[in-house]
Amino acid sequence: MTGLITGTGIKCLPLQAATFIPKIHMKEQKTYILAIESSCDDTSAAVLLNGKVLSNVVATQKIHEEYGGVVPELASRAHQQNIVPVVHTALNKANIGKKELSAIAFTSGPGLLGSLLVGTSFAKSLALALHIPLIEVNHMQAHILAHFIEDQGQDKPSFPFLAMTISGGHTQIIRADGFFDMTVIGETIDDAVGEAFDKSAKILGLPYPGGPLIDRYAREGNPGAFAFPKPKVDGLDFSFSGLKTSILYFVRKHQKEDPAFVEHHLKDICASIQYTIVNILMDKLKKASKETGIRQIAIGGGVSANSGIREALKKGEKKYGWKTYIPKFEYTTDNAAMIGITGYLKYLENDFSSQNVTAKARFKV
Amino acid sequence: MEKILYSLREIEAVASRVLGEARGKTLLFHGDMGVGKTTLIKAMALKLGVGDMTGSPTFGLVHEYRDKDGLPVYHFDFYRIEDETEALDMGVEEYLYSGDWLFIEWPEKIGGLLPEDAVDIYMEELEDGRRALSF
Repeated sequence: MTGLITGTGIKCLPLQAATFIPKIHMKEQKTYILAIESSCDDTSAAVLLNGKVLSNVVATQKIHEEYGGVVPELASRAHQQNIVPVVHTALNKANIGKKELSAIAFTSGPGLLGSLLVGTSFAKSLALALHIPLIEVNHMQAHILAHFIEDQGQDKPSFPFLAMTISGGHTQIIRADGFFDMTVIGETIDDAVGEAFDKSAKILGLPYPGGPLIDRYAREGNPGAFAFPKPKVDGLDFSFSGLKTSILYFVRKHQKEDPAFVEHHLKDICASIQYTIVNILMDKLKKASKETGIRQIAIGGGVSANSGIREALKKGEKKYGWKTYIPKFEYTTDNAAMIGITGYLKYLENDFSSQNVTAKARFKV
Repeated sequence: MEKILYSLREIEAVASRVLGEARGKTLLFHGDMGVGKTTLIKAMALKLGVGDMTGSPTFGLVHEYRDKDGLPVYHFDFYRIEDETEALDMGVEEYLYSGDWLFIEWPEKIGGLLPEDAVDIYMEELEDGRRALSF
């Protein structure tokens, strides 16, 4: 007993062992999850308490300034520079200390390997140091489970439902039969839908990222002004690379007669492009709903902000009896809160990872 | 530098020829948008035995495929990169010196980072719709 008071090393061990075991068994207690997402461009960290988001932070220059600036010689890559300040800020905003954490969840894939490695190594080290469980999360599953974050003040889908994840990096239709019982039933064979928007915008001379600009101009244009061919792809898969080429040829052809063709018809061109892209998505979604008999549709990914897609989903509600779900925008783009809710759901199922877990550039749902 | 003229029907033969004759495994595809860089790269990946080209969604920067022996084949598209720092931030150097097949679209964007022995492939569209390729 004297050891508990005198030596810090001895004092720590029994205390940690005592807190570690009850946290796993007493699920009705407060479960704090620290979540880390670093699959692509952004480094993000979040803290959740029992499925509720206490903080959800994406690395920005401001965070670096508050933290004392970037130390370039310590890190050559953005994620390495971001990870410590972002986690620090997330804990501060949640107003908890790292010792209160119950587990650490992190994106292990899919994504850019170099980016994933930063989050993975950080999560593993911190979990080891704090002597708490580690939970690996599939980024694509997390996009779908973002619908189950508690504080959104809206209905959650019930199983089974169809999830369509649409962003700059992904285009997938997934059948979800349970939190961790998901099947990809359709996905893009080339460009993602967000890329299709951005590359089309580039052809029109709009700045990157041009997707939101196309949406803005499209609202004032005539979607029937010009017709673009829709790709013929079997089953529920998507293809967007052909559309880019046909837009290019279309613009080139008209510029021969009128060099300022794009400027003269920008709104109509944008509306027609958006109409075509939305139709490509909706055709497959309708087909998926018909084939599976499922009419609950959950949308995720940054492109879910597109007004054309939102309108089409509303129409689907009236016409096909769909019930559609879109999370808050901050939970649709790449974010750590969705990793946190997935981590929490895995925590409830005692689904932990060992220290041998690795980052995976390819990671199927 | 010999020019290969081809139409879409002949893409498989062209894909085999580029794979067989290129002096290196890092291939840089130069050409305007719509000239068919992605189409040719996909045909080459098929020739290497890549069965599944989905499942690597990374904002179009890099698609990682597996060839028939399970070895990685990397397909880069740097069109959205604004400067080389962004490519460094994603850890591009690890890929560039991996010794695996690298097919790179818009290599101009990361000109300063490319290995010396990378093979330049130039593609253009002809008046009659065929493509001309040289390397």
